[in-house]
Amino acid sequence: MKELLFRNARVIDVARNIDAVGDIGVADGVIAEPSHLRDPEVIDLSGKVLSPGFIDLHVHLRQPGNTDAETIATGTLAAAAGGFTAIVAMPNTKPAADNPGAIELLRRTAADQGAVRVFPCGCMTKGGEGKEMAGIGSLKSAGVVALSDDGRCIQDHALMRHVVEYARSFRLPILDHCEESTLAAGGVMHEGKWSVLLGFNGMAGTAEELIVARDIMLAREIGWKIHIQHISTRESIELVRIARRRGILVSAEATPHHLTLTDECIKKFDTNFKMNPPLRSESDRQALIAAVADGTVTAIATDHAPHTETAKQVEFDHAPFGIIGLETAFPLCFTELVAGGVIALPQLIAKFTTGPAEILGLHDCDLAPGRRADLTVVDPAAEYVIDRNEFRSKARNTPFDGRRVKGRVEMTVVGGRIVYRR
Amino acid sequence: MEWNRKDLLSLYDLSGAEIEFILDTAEEFKKVSQRRVKKVPALRGKTVVNFFVEPSTRTRVSFELAEQRLSADIINMQAQTSSLLKGETLLDTVRNIEALQVDLVVMRHSTPGAQAFIAKHLKCGVVNAGDGAHSHPTQALLDLFTIREKKGRIAGLKVTIIGDILHSRVARSNIWGLLKLGAEVTVAGPSTLVPREFESIGVKVCHDLKTAVADADVVNLLRIQHERQTIGFFPSTGEYARFFGINSDTVKLMRPDALIMHPGPINRGVELTGEVADGPNSVILEQVTNGLAVRMAVLFLVAGCVKK
Amino acid sequence: MKKRLFDVDEMAAAIDRVTDEILAAFPAGEEDPVLVGIHHLGVPLSERIRDGIARRTGRELEIGKLDISMYRDDIGDRTKRLPVIEETSIPFDVNGAAIILVDDVLSTGRTIRAALDALVDYGRARMIRLAVLVDRGEPEFPIKADFIGFNVKLPPERRVAVSFGGSPFAPEEPGIFETDWHLV
Repeated sequence: MKELLFRNARVIDVARNIDAVGDIGVADGVIAEPSHLRDPEVIDLSGKVLSPGFIDLHVHLRQPGNTDAETIATGTLAAAAGGFTAIVAMPNTKPAADNPGAIELLRRTAADQGAVRVFPCGCMTKGGEGKEMAGIGSLKSAGVVALSDDGRCIQDHALMRHVVEYARSFRLPILDHCEESTLAAGGVMHEGKWSVLLGFNGMAGTAEELIVARDIMLAREIGWKIHIQHISTRESIELVRIARRRGILVSAEATPHHLTLTDECIKKFDTNFKMNPPLRSESDRQALIAAVADGTVTAIATDHAPHTETAKQVEFDHAPFGIIGLETAFPLCFTELVAGGVIALPQLIAKFTTGPAEILGLHDCDLAPGRRADLTVVDPAAEYVIDRNEFRSKARNTPFDGRRVKGRVEMTVVGGRIVYRR
Repeated sequence: MEWNRKDLLSLYDLSGAEIEFILDTAEEFKKVSQRRVKKVPALRGKTVVNFFVEPSTRTRVSFELAEQRLSADIINMQAQTSSLLKGETLLDTVRNIEALQVDLVVMRHSTPGAQAFIAKHLKCGVVNAGDGAHSHPTQALLDLFTIREKKGRIAGLKVTIIGDILHSRVARSNIWGLLKLGAEVTVAGPSTLVPREFESIGVKVCHDLKTAVADADVVNLLRIQHERQTIGFFPSTGEYARFFGINSDTVKLMRPDALIMHPGPINRGVELTGEVADGPNSVILEQVTNGLAVRMAVLFLVAGCVKK
Repeated sequence: MKKRLFDVDEMAAAIDRVTDEILAAFPAGEEDPVLVGIHHLGVPLSERIRDGIARRTGRELEIGKLDISMYRDDIGDRTKRLPVIEETSIPFDVNGAAIILVDDVLSTGRTIRAALDALVDYGRARMIRLAVLVDRGEPEFPIKADFIGFNVKLPPERRVAVSFGGSPFAPEEPGIFETDWHLV
């Protein structure tokens, strides 16, 4: 493997409190002192930023079951193009990843065809159906880093309690999609002013808030980590904020689309704005931005959910939920939060690196010599227009086509190899 | 003022001037149905497809008659007989229809935005005959026509809409049309069916019948049904009739020349008593007559739109 | 480019001539004809003819107006947008009537064809005659005018525009002009 020497980069290594211009060397797949390199390829990164590789806690790779929309190969290429060196693969594939065999298949396929690291995630319950606990211990042995029923939510609180308690004994964090089923039933968008004006059935914010509250109570009682996926309402955020102040082991992630779009977008009836949880009101969006700023939200995760054109080109009510997000996450968040003056770049980098790492219980998200060489290079000065035809993903279901953004991923390095370069 | 839209999807999209233009055009078409020969050759040689994915009798018959009086050739398609049942997507179905070189599609669907969705993909014009709870522009236009004909204007009138506003496309389209033409709009009914969010666009929200109809110039009653989608929202039609049904005593609270309207079909004894339905304030049957004129005008304008 | 063909006095004289010809064709003592003006300019023209007849003979002819938009043969093919439909009012029984259709300019004849179709839908007239202020002489249909103010021959790309002076809000010079089509 070729040695690499990155020169003159603004190195942002949040874990070790570094934000300075310097050089970083890579040899044999790990980070090396520049002086130890013999004959590296020299890459000048003047004006660019280098950080540990981004981690996405929430990606749907659709393999097995819906490979028309995405595969492990194309999904990881998309991740690389988005600056991600590691992704957590959601288990709601068909069949669901609720058993060691499925996890092993994912690990092998990813090792063979994946462009970036794929962390498997196992189901909490069999089939993700919310009725019977899955073989959590066996899933741990097979290599899952976390548990989730994403897409659905355990409605039986007694069962959820058992799952959290049992997961604790295996030190597996829970990633929960919080949705109380009766308050959101039949809904296709946020229940609020716009669902009323447009005549759509709404998904009430309280559907998320009730389950967030449940999860906080369980995390407190059991003393284990529950991570709230794609948090979206003002009230949910306030509950998490108070819980964290009390020392309860609850964390939350925000998606780039919830940070940049609102329910008013639905008036165009474009199914590329339909996802679950839905786009919320402007007030919720502002609360989410404030939560990123004050540390209530410690991770940004895309909930990358590919769908074929055919699947999405139907009546709004009938369209599946979900949009892709790997290749637009960084520029959207940079434009909204850093260029928008809400937080500084190192804080944003933390949401893509140390924040997700901590949730997974990883402690190696830095650029110390000897660390696995997973690196992301971005250009904070670049301005461009998002063009979905350039995506590496198989899918095109994005609401951001044609949007002007600032901040661009330049290069992604996984295990010392360049997997994406502009 | 000239018309330049290939589709009529929602009154939300139109300006007040465009709405008035349709009503002015409809005035002339109303006269056609009063002549000996109730037909004009305006759409002769044009093919109109009535694509009713959500079934309907009254609206479809009204559109069909309007199309016949414009001398158009008509095809009727219902969901039960269409290829949607066989798993063909909506987009593929309408593309197949367009491949037959039709000029206009009049479509009703049970979900919001379906017509807006297909109109983007079709070269021929699309007239929305109802899309879920979102929009029913021709119904609102005929309601506006009726009010304007009787009262001479819309601006400044106090109009109250009573019923299940939450699930009603008739209510939504009427609200947009009335606001754009300068009326004062109040919506009233059970609090579970009349969301406060309408206040954000300048509509008064009311849950007390007497307050809602006091000094009203026009009262528009929506059909209420205790069915699958509304069962959890209110206890029974009996209770609804008690608190929101219009009878002769309620009429006394309105202006003496107030109009009582209803999109039909009426539930005698629920939204209104038989006495009120047949009484001097009711213009319910005139709405039906006006519906024909308005639909003729809409079809004429949309068909005559300049092709890009 | 706009060129005046006839001024307001010449126009008035032509209307008088047409009125005289109509009176000669329909002498007093028999049933009066009725006038039907075609929107837009056929309407004020028909009113001037009616007023002229009333001034000279005291006969009050019945008058109607017709908008032929619903009878056009080019709906959906036009390059211009449809204008608002003006009022059609036929306040007499067409059955058995002698109708004089009135329009400002006869050019292709298609407007008159549409007007004939419209009148036929109202009933069975005894006869229909055509009075125009300007006949361009090259109709696309076999339509001929019976009472003519002026015969004007111009290339098809030039338009003949008649004006009675516009409105108080949009005044314009009265007369008969030769213009380009895009000035419409």
